[in-house]
Amino acid sequence: MTASAAAPVPRTAAATPWLDTMTMPAAMVLALVVGYPVVYTLMLSVQDYNLLAATPAHFVGAQNYRRLLDDSTFWQSLGHTAEYTFGSVGIAAVLGLGLALLTEPITGPHARVVRALLLMPWAVPFVVVAFLFRYMYLQNGGAINALLLWSGVIREPIAWLNASSLAMPAVIIANVWAMTPFFFLLMTAALAGIPAEVLESARIDRARTWSLIVDIKLPFLRNALLVSSLLMIIANFNDFAKIWAMTQGGPGYSTTTLVIYVYRQAFETFAFGYASAIGVVWLALLLVFALVYLRALRMQH
Amino acid sequence: MSRFMKRNGLPALVLVAAISTAHAADKVTITFANWATAEGTTRPAIEKVIADFEKAHPDIAIKSESISFSEIARQLALRVRAGNPPDVAQLAGNDTFVLAATGKLEPLDTYVDAGLKSSLKPESTRDLAYQGKLVALPWTLAPAGFWYDKLVMQKAGLDPAKPPKTIDELMSDMAAIRKSQPDVIPLALDTTNRPFALQSNWPWMATFGAAPLGGANARADSPQFKAYLSWMRDLASKRYIDPGRKIGEFRPLAAQDKVAFIWDQVLLQGVIQNAGKMSDADFYKRWGVTTQPAGPSGKSYSFEGGHQLVMFADSQHKKAAWTFIAYLASSPDAIREYTLGPGSSLPPLTKLASKDVASKLDTPIYSAFTERIAATAATPPYGPAFAAAASAIMAGVQQAVTGTEPIDQIASSIQQQLERK
Repeated sequence: MTASAAAPVPRTAAATPWLDTMTMPAAMVLALVVGYPVVYTLMLSVQDYNLLAATPAHFVGAQNYRRLLDDSTFWQSLGHTAEYTFGSVGIAAVLGLGLALLTEPITGPHARVVRALLLMPWAVPFVVVAFLFRYMYLQNGGAINALLLWSGVIREPIAWLNASSLAMPAVIIANVWAMTPFFFLLMTAALAGIPAEVLESARIDRARTWSLIVDIKLPFLRNALLVSSLLMIIANFNDFAKIWAMTQGGPGYSTTTLVIYVYRQAFETFAFGYASAIGVVWLALLLVFALVYLRALRMQH
Repeated sequence: MSRFMKRNGLPALVLVAAISTAHAADKVTITFANWATAEGTTRPAIEKVIADFEKAHPDIAIKSESISFSEIARQLALRVRAGNPPDVAQLAGNDTFVLAATGKLEPLDTYVDAGLKSSLKPESTRDLAYQGKLVALPWTLAPAGFWYDKLVMQKAGLDPAKPPKTIDELMSDMAAIRKSQPDVIPLALDTTNRPFALQSNWPWMATFGAAPLGGANARADSPQFKAYLSWMRDLASKRYIDPGRKIGEFRPLAAQDKVAFIWDQVLLQGVIQNAGKMSDADFYKRWGVTTQPAGPSGKSYSFEGGHQLVMFADSQHKKAAWTFIAYLASSPDAIREYTLGPGSSLPPLTKLASKDVASKLDTPIYSAFTERIAATAATPPYGPAFAAAASAIMAGVQQAVTGTEPIDQIASSIQQQLERK
């Protein structure tokens, strides 16, 4: 027998059992709190189930999904979801990054005050943010119109939340205000993590500020930016409270996102079968983002 | 413990405890889901009514469950399906029929005795039947009226004794108000997207001869409905309305004379008086109410926004639940405290047992509602279809009010959505 033959076989991925008994309790809890609603939603999505109907739910196959294809409101909602999510996350990420870079040179007690002020919107509950902006946007008596009228920028007050073309940008601005501190916080932390010797050597090489940001800092921030953006995309895809409190999806359908549409179908018309079908499509889209997020996390490590 | 206590006190205590237990066993608890206790204006009044009821009926306890007006139908529908409904609930408008559609409301025909039946105003129960059975007892009546601020009218050079009688007069009055007082909202209309807003706008559609729902000829792409949508767009483009506000959000503005005309129920009086600490006499000098200005149909309409009481079929204490329902709707104390209280509305009774209650109703506002406005109420085709259609119709109304899409396109889009539902 050779020495190599006598050596213990290393534990490989193939040898790892696919289900560790130690994970069983957690797996059972997950199956109950996550698995059950998902499976039940899938089951409801292929049924004609109205909460008010006297007749019991019955299997209708892909009928609810076929109805989705012809439902212009569903497609509008899908488009608005993308507009709201990517618009908000994109702008907030750029602003958060910009603020982190701008405040980086500030040191001492001033830095703490500035950072605390910039982080304040993150501490405001989302529903409060929504109502705050709703009242600021009011056509009659709103602070924004009052300021613009006073400064002579406009002659007539603007119906920010009640004009189909302005409602979505107005809601996105409120969302960006609430979300930017999250990106600012993460980017500030990521900037602090850049090795000092890297920055020092760049300075010795007389790198200009712009070059320092673009060639040195941004590559270091890329992963943090990607992961935080994906996290916020998932969170905004599900955002109900802000939009509902500000516009309830209106005027018309101009701010109706998937989550608002599901809510109206489920709790105003009580069409749980159809609402579940929309929910399944929504879940599938979220899963795609979640998978990309997990992949990004692995890349980061 | 003394010998006396051992000999006499202990058996006495045991006896008292036994009697108390037996008494507690006889006492039934009724769960009452309502928004009256959820709203600051009406909470003290309804809590007093409940306390008075419990005092008069020591064998019945009331467990009040506060649920907001906009949430109550949703929560009750879910509770009905979960097999956990309350015994009694306060409902209004389409919500009553949404719950009736579940088949879980107890028909009340057999509970309403001849005495109560003869004392109820016939119109109060006329539209509360579902599939031929009375599913709710009217608690309060609250039709919508056309309120006008006399001070604002005066400032605009209008005669406050002559509120507009037609849509044309209304448009001309609003133009004068807009010109003289740019910070005043000429007309307060609820254009939010919810079933209540459709209920509130239904009379305005009706006065244009439009009915987007109910009946074979009901269509959202009819010339009448398009005329209504065009009028709404005209109102918004001239800034006569402030879209997106719930009717409740206009009331504080009305109290500050920032609204000229408001389409609202009788409770507006209480809100304005409370906000401005205004006496009855001052209020009548400042505000008046009349029927809706008539549109092309030549008729004025209103909607009945009163509240009803329902009993759930699964209730284990139906007799006690009915006693409570009948007390709320017809007892002079309940009418004095709650119906005519801060959330003021009209009692559904023809004759009032108490003189002081009758005298409370002898005001210009109550008289206008009772004698002129109530008769114009037209009930929309309530039911689950109404709830499902409300979202599509009000979204269309909002598109007309806030967008630039052609009215024909909006009307046909609403019609298509209604046909799909």
